[in-house]
Amino acid sequence: MRHTHSHGVRSIDHLAYTSGMSGWNPAFKTVLALGTLVICLAADRATVSAAVILALAALQKWKGGLALHDYGGLLRVPLAFLLLGSAAVACDLSSVPAGDWSLSLHWFYLCASADSVRFALALVLKSLGAVSALYLLALTTSACEFVGVLRRAHLPGLLTELMYLIYRFVFVLLDTHGRMREAAGARLGWRDFRTSCRSFGGTAAGLLLVALRKSRTYYDAMAARGYDGGLCFLEEDKPWRRAQAAGMAAFWAALIALRIIAT
Amino acid sequence: MGQPVLQAKDLYFSYDGKGNALDGVSLDIFAGERIAVLGPNGAGKSTFFLCLNGVLTPERGEILLDGRATGRRDRKRLCERAGIVFQNADDQIIASTVAAEVSFGPMNLRLPKDEVVRRVDHALAYMDLSPFRARPPHELSGGEKKRVTIADILAMESEIILFDEPAASLDPAGEERLETVLARLSAEGRTLVISTHDMDFAFRWATRAVVFAGGRVIADGAPETVFRDQETMARAHLRPPAMLTVADLLRTRGLLPASGVCPRTAAELAVLLDGSQS
Repeated sequence: MRHTHSHGVRSIDHLAYTSGMSGWNPAFKTVLALGTLVICLAADRATVSAAVILALAALQKWKGGLALHDYGGLLRVPLAFLLLGSAAVACDLSSVPAGDWSLSLHWFYLCASADSVRFALALVLKSLGAVSALYLLALTTSACEFVGVLRRAHLPGLLTELMYLIYRFVFVLLDTHGRMREAAGARLGWRDFRTSCRSFGGTAAGLLLVALRKSRTYYDAMAARGYDGGLCFLEEDKPWRRAQAAGMAAFWAALIALRIIAT
Repeated sequence: MGQPVLQAKDLYFSYDGKGNALDGVSLDIFAGERIAVLGPNGAGKSTFFLCLNGVLTPERGEILLDGRATGRRDRKRLCERAGIVFQNADDQIIASTVAAEVSFGPMNLRLPKDEVVRRVDHALAYMDLSPFRARPPHELSGGEKKRVTIADILAMESEIILFDEPAASLDPAGEERLETVLARLSAEGRTLVISTHDMDFAFRWATRAVVFAGGRVIADGAPETVFRDQETMARAHLRPPAMLTVADLLRTRGLLPASGVCPRTAAELAVLLDGSQS
């Protein structure tokens, strides 16, 4: 059985710290990511989306020091969702054969046309571009810093704190669940389908109880250090660099130019 | 001994109204003391610590700081003066970098940024954590995490530090390091209160032993006196420290003087044995 301790989510957390871009100003990265996201969505052209995907992958590789193989692996999960969702967009159900391709499924036909497939592919590219833009932030910025950015952007404190605590709690739960899985495995809990179902139910119920207990302990530990509803951490000073801002402007200008050419 | 820095007077507390986690606990803590809090699991030690620190508000009874009663408004002052190092480091650590984690307490005290930076730097250097400052604390080893949690409290400059079973998940090297830190903190005049199941540690380290059972303090005094009280030890399901048993055996065989203080460490025993042979 594969060792389940190194959960995918945990490795994303780790990547944020090891990234070469962790020294960049978090507000700058947020602006870069959100600006690129908006351009990618507003441009609505496959070429612009592809350019965003490639440029951001290159940035993660050369500036972030993240191996392309690892980056691809991280994009695999959202990509799977996007492909499944877009397949539903590309295909249509019909009682009679329609479009360019149709597959008979006895009671009905699964139809697709060249246009719908093209549209679905453009949608995949656009969404992947948006995901890449958000990954630029997620893979290079610690959660503490991101909360700081949101606070300075005057997002309601309750919202940012809830977000941060949920984020932290996900790791606690993943860790606990990983351990429960291993403990169940050590007692042959996953030997066959029936046993697995029972073990899964058991670990899920156990997780709920542990979550309740842990949330209390967590709160106590925070309150013990004077927490009174304002989540504050010391942030290291990371100044904006002119070259970075210029690079960002050039990148956006290139994307906009591409959009104009692509019309 | 003068005025206690922290006093608990007749504290009662229950979780969800079921049973009494604290059932009339009174304790005076004096500056510079090294107190070992002993007792079985569920005896109320952790609850007592949370009350002393102001996280839990006792249902009855009061907590006095420098002889003055504290109310709900003084919670922050209690947090600042009496810090808790939690048993499980993962429960305490919440930030994404070691430096941010250590800064959480001082930031909550609403100190100016320069002061927070100074305290964080000092606490990290004190606990030998400076090289780890940008690391995510959740990736550190058990011993390193424990050091981070101690640095958390040092940065708050609490004069009283409550340790909830600090050695529970440490390896022998980690325990040794912890004892070195405790000795240094004590030498600097801080008041240390440690809940522990390690009787040998309690015997060699503490100046005072307090035994909890069923939410009450059933014994409070010099460690040797408390550990010789068989009724207390039986009620709290404690076993006497090995050094006490060994010293008693040697005394019955005439190898150690029949009276005098019991040695607390192997080195002290060696000195006594050398003395009794010459």
